[in-house]
Amino acid sequence: MKKSIFFSIFLTFQFLPVFAQFGPENGVKKSEPKSILIQNARIYVSPSVIWEKADMLLVDGKIKEIAPSIKANQSVIIDYSGKTVVPSFIELYSNIGQPKTTFHEGGFRTQSKVEKDGAFYWNEAIHPEFKAANSYAIDAKTNETLMQQGFGYAVSHLMDGMVRGTGALVSLGNDQVNKQMIKGDAAQFLSFSKGSSPEGYPSAQMGSIALMRQALFDLSYYTSSPQNEFSISLDAWSNQMKLPMFFKTEDKWEILRAEKIMKEHKLNVCYIGSGNEYAAIDAIKNIHRTIVIPINFPEPFELRDPYIARQIPLSDLKHWELAPSNPLYLFQNGVPFCITTNGLKSAEQFWKNVRLAIARGLPVDAALAALTINPAKELGVGSELGTLEAGKFANFSVYSSDPFTTEAQLLDAWIQGEKSQIKAIAGPSIVGKYNLLVDGEKYDLEIEGSNERPSGKVKLASKANATLLDTTTKKASVQLVENDITIQFSSCDKSNPGIVQLHGKMTRNAAIFEGDGTNSFGNWIVWSGIRTDKSPDPVKATELKKDTSFIARPWLPNMAFGMETSPKSQTILVKNATVWTNEADGVLKNVSVLIENGKIVNVAKNNSISAPSSAIIIDGKGMHLTAGIIDEHSHIAISKGVNEAGQAVTAEVSIADVVNPDDINIYRQLAGGVTAAQLLHGSANPIGGCSALIKLKWGSNPDEMLIPNAPKFIKCALGENVKQSNWGDYNTSRFPQTRMGVEQVFYDAFYRARAYKADWEAYNNKQTLIQPRRDLELDVLVEIMDSQRFVTCHSYVQSEINMLMHVADSMGFHINTFTHILEGYKVADKMKKHGVGGSTFSDWWAYKFEVNDAIPYNAKLMADQRVIVSINSDDAEMGRRLNQEAAKSIKYGGMSEEEALKMVTLNPAKLLHLDDRMGSVRVGKDADLVLWTDNPLSIKAKVQFTIVDGVILYDAAKDQSQNERNEAERARIIAKMLNANENGEKTTPFVKKPRKHYHCDTLGEEGETGENTH
Amino acid sequence: MKNIRIFLTILAWIPVANAQRILIINGTAHIGNGEVVETAAIGIAEGKILFVKNSLTNAVQRKDWDTIIDAQNQHVYPGLVAANSTLGLTEIDAVRATRDFNDVGELNPHVRTQVAFNVESRVIETVRTNGVMLTQSTPRGGTISGSSAVMFLSGWNWEDATVLADDGIHVNWPSSTQGGGWWAEPAPKTRNTNYQKEKEEIMDFFTLAEVYAKGAKSIDDLRLEAMKACFVGTKRVYFHADGMQQILDIIEFVEKFNLKFPVIIGGYEAHMVGKRLKDAKIPVMLNRVHMLPEREEDDVNLPYAMPALLQKQGILFCLQNAGDMEAMNARNLPFQAGTAMAYGLTEEEALVSVSLNACKIMGIDKEFGSIESGKSATLFISKGPALDMKTNQVSTLIFHGQIVSSENFQLKLYQKYKKKYQGK
Repeated sequence: MKKSIFFSIFLTFQFLPVFAQFGPENGVKKSEPKSILIQNARIYVSPSVIWEKADMLLVDGKIKEIAPSIKANQSVIIDYSGKTVVPSFIELYSNIGQPKTTFHEGGFRTQSKVEKDGAFYWNEAIHPEFKAANSYAIDAKTNETLMQQGFGYAVSHLMDGMVRGTGALVSLGNDQVNKQMIKGDAAQFLSFSKGSSPEGYPSAQMGSIALMRQALFDLSYYTSSPQNEFSISLDAWSNQMKLPMFFKTEDKWEILRAEKIMKEHKLNVCYIGSGNEYAAIDAIKNIHRTIVIPINFPEPFELRDPYIARQIPLSDLKHWELAPSNPLYLFQNGVPFCITTNGLKSAEQFWKNVRLAIARGLPVDAALAALTINPAKELGVGSELGTLEAGKFANFSVYSSDPFTTEAQLLDAWIQGEKSQIKAIAGPSIVGKYNLLVDGEKYDLEIEGSNERPSGKVKLASKANATLLDTTTKKASVQLVENDITIQFSSCDKSNPGIVQLHGKMTRNAAIFEGDGTNSFGNWIVWSGIRTDKSPDPVKATELKKDTSFIARPWLPNMAFGMETSPKSQTILVKNATVWTNEADGVLKNVSVLIENGKIVNVAKNNSISAPSSAIIIDGKGMHLTAGIIDEHSHIAISKGVNEAGQAVTAEVSIADVVNPDDINIYRQLAGGVTAAQLLHGSANPIGGCSALIKLKWGSNPDEMLIPNAPKFIKCALGENVKQSNWGDYNTSRFPQTRMGVEQVFYDAFYRARAYKADWEAYNNKQTLIQPRRDLELDVLVEIMDSQRFVTCHSYVQSEINMLMHVADSMGFHINTFTHILEGYKVADKMKKHGVGGSTFSDWWAYKFEVNDAIPYNAKLMADQRVIVSINSDDAEMGRRLNQEAAKSIKYGGMSEEEALKMVTLNPAKLLHLDDRMGSVRVGKDADLVLWTDNPLSIKAKVQFTIVDGVILYDAAKDQSQNERNEAERARIIAKMLNANENGEKTTPFVKKPRKHYHCDTLGEEGETGENTH
Repeated sequence: MKNIRIFLTILAWIPVANAQRILIINGTAHIGNGEVVETAAIGIAEGKILFVKNSLTNAVQRKDWDTIIDAQNQHVYPGLVAANSTLGLTEIDAVRATRDFNDVGELNPHVRTQVAFNVESRVIETVRTNGVMLTQSTPRGGTISGSSAVMFLSGWNWEDATVLADDGIHVNWPSSTQGGGWWAEPAPKTRNTNYQKEKEEIMDFFTLAEVYAKGAKSIDDLRLEAMKACFVGTKRVYFHADGMQQILDIIEFVEKFNLKFPVIIGGYEAHMVGKRLKDAKIPVMLNRVHMLPEREEDDVNLPYAMPALLQKQGILFCLQNAGDMEAMNARNLPFQAGTAMAYGLTEEEALVSVSLNACKIMGIDKEFGSIESGKSATLFISKGPALDMKTNQVSTLIFHGQIVSSENFQLKLYQKYKKKYQGK
């Protein structure tokens, strides 16, 4: 005990720099301990090495020696018997000590001028020149918060923008910033979030992806080719490329998106995850990167009102249940990971959640590694940080017991050999019964409560002179400050009612008190107390229990209707069905269709196929089998923005980069017979972004949904949306604002692309040695002009349709598809001549001025001119009953039933150049099939089965059991959560998420449907 | 019911044929009350239906009629009703100048759609082509949007198109969740902490209106004056609400003010509290059938199946089509009923949900909603079943005994361009 007192006094003299050369001393040189000896501690040397009892010698802020027993003279000795010493943790993702960033407020902005003057990169979200070391200032309060959790180091960077510059590695001491900063440029940080940049671009995640790629190409161009320009940003960035790189993500799929860029540029990276990696663990395992995961596991929802509870989506419930297993999933799948406190609201949460992860089965060594050696390795500082070995920094935390397996308290945090007391080491308990002898009088004293808040009762022990003395039990006030106890109670002497005040020292583990004080007369007296009961055993820290009962698994996707296992292609025989072949055979009755390995392998009349014994047999009697519906124009299953509206020409962006398998609308559309779709960029720009051609493979990864070797497509747009006619009075500054301007945007883009192509050809033919700069936007435009990429163009009125065909003709390519094309009927002959198809709505009109002449006979009139016509949705709701929309052409114009069905099957396959593998029921084609309960064009038709690539992904017969399974899963998790509610766990009120259904002109990252949105 | 003023003006617009007495024979008559009369003879005179009978068992004299329409192999239906719609109040959604359904102010019961109804709307002519012949022209916005009116989808002007002026006021019941931002920048929705307060505001206004209704001798507050009939029972109170919490609170509210004709519009969760609604005798104008489920785990077909769920529970309901592009979409109302049929209603139940039930809820069923003698002869003939888009082909529209063209400008454009290509 004396040592401890000595040391705390000693500490007060210790605030001085280690290296005097950093500044002159104000006063005389002060001494400091040469060395400190930690004794008798249980030491986690590293995740794999624990010494049950060892000593550790610290010299000059570093570990000099660690051994079972160290003899050291002239050392300050600290006895940590019974305590556990753990290496300080390393926080990789923080902005401690950085200035606050002010974020641009207000609505969406289109293309604005760069506001930062200087020779920087053209887009403000890219600012590698920022060095966090330059703006780092010690923030004692935040340091303390991190120290309370066991951290001793942090990498601090400015959490703003896409290329954020470097972060500094600091230790968390509060003196001398030079001493605390271990590395000024420790790592560089990237993200997809543009942060405080006031520019309109990028406004969607696909824009961020394109910008990141472009910036990296610009960087290598800058460093590899002779330049006649200087860029502060690229110059700084090129110097950072050898630093460790961290990429912040906000969802499991974002890791895969970022990974594509990193692979393209052959960069090593470590991802900052979002906590739901478990739900895509197979894909994440295969990229072989380290993931820094947050452990801000969701709090249980407040469930008192069942009406509100009903609104909580199953996906949120499942995430609540599984998030604490995220570290375990990564561990079990061999994914190296680190842990960050980013997102945690308090220090208590940190240990609660680390222990929760361990309770779920995460081994202690893996947890410790994630906090120490793994981050040290990622930073390339494994030789100085992360373990408690000779030569490394003396940064460690001292706990009352093992913090990973018990509810231990963090007592002392050591940073570079300096101690900060976080919590006093608890002394022996004074709670108990005592015999007091005060001024010759005997009393019984009982102390209750705790050392921090004791209370007492006092009773006179002797019964003599009872008439003169008060023998009732009285309250005594008791206070304990370190070893000193004070007791006050009113005198038992009836003749002299006053206060007895005692002050004493505690000895022998609270068995004896001794001291002096004043009696009721105010005279000084001596007193003593002896414990009469056995002092209690020191409180043992509660051992954590492993929750072995936990068996929940994520669904694919992890939400309602998700699948329990990854789907496999099946052998299926559909018998007795009426088959709409979409081939010369037309509609055939009593046909069997055999499916194997995802393909149609036999179509036989009169049920003459014998199925293999393993086949699933579906009796299609009375039912109709058709090719799967293909939606030529869809915006479902897209993450974070359908429009990159920051510029008028955004050919560089691609929906294929942001396919989102977690959209419930995939399942809903399967229930409507849709098997494939073109996910299009929106219509905010004349030249929008590239498309994703997908199959609706519910439960698959984004890349598995993309149709392999699909032809390339891009979305263009004309008319009111691109000239921002309906954006209100403030959006009148972006060119173009008229149909005249729209034409010029196209010519300008294609002339630029033509010149770009010529530059590359000259370079490739060695006519010049100057390599052109790679431009992702122009690359795509060149593909269009070379007929390597097809154009689907949003269009309404005949003038603009005609115009674009002229532009294309003059540039030597064809427009592949006009989508919407509501006045196509007026120029169907010209369309036929140009060779363009039309993908239209069945009957939409009246939502804006340019659709005033839209007629529901449009499809029929175009089809009559032998234009290939499809009917599309552009709408998550209508997308699930495209068969009904197709049937409207029977009503409006008298199209035949077979031709009508082709408009949502074979014709969109033709428009997408996928008709060699989709769109009809023919041997060799993909097994994308729908079995309907009735004529598919009848209002009575319901989907019985939807099969994609030979896998049954929707089965109406199982619909009821699916609903029951969803409800059972809800009930199971809600019961758990209610339990947590009752146990007093902090709850969070449910926040309803906005609906995210994109239409053509939805802006920003997340859209809600409004009026006029097509 | 006697208090309801139904304007059945002698319709003066020019009929295709100058028919006073019309006989429709040989068609299949879907009465609109669940019954079907095969080879029906339907007699019409002075705007009213004289009789509906099976012509095989009941002889009719051809010479008694000015016009005889042979509807062999065709179907006759009562005019369908687009309840709760801005049809006729908007022309082009994106053009502000054409939008006349949402005025400034929170409590606007005095604002009346009847006078803004544009019976010459080009949208209207495309809607009636599919058999939709009446609409409840309904205002939007605010807490009380205003008063709706039931209108014919044909006429010279709003006066002679009026079926029932000011049939009810529309209360947008506050949501127990709130937020959402605007469409380009949505904010998360949260539990509406102002819900109690917003409810009380409605309560206060109704309390004030109730007192006014009892005492006022002369008009001194247009808003309260417009509320008066709600307490007498000659004007309906339409509550727009979806959630269980809201619906239960509305039931309480209705009891408190002893409202005679309350109606729920929306009712996404009505099937969850069906018994309560049935006991309180509150009918529902159900959300559009062609909508997405609200909740991730809702049955994928829930909106399609909702009409059948209410039917099973014995709740009086009709369909309506409010939502995105509702005016132009009103022409698809028959097919929404058709989808409801595919998901559990019988064909005739589906028809009732867009005809007689809507008229019952609006209080005009004595005159409209079914092909029964004594009722207004507002009906149409379709070459095939009208609730299926594949077969809906309206050949004749009769508005209160007057034959009206089923053509529209879209058909004319079709014919014009068809000719253009044939000319080549």
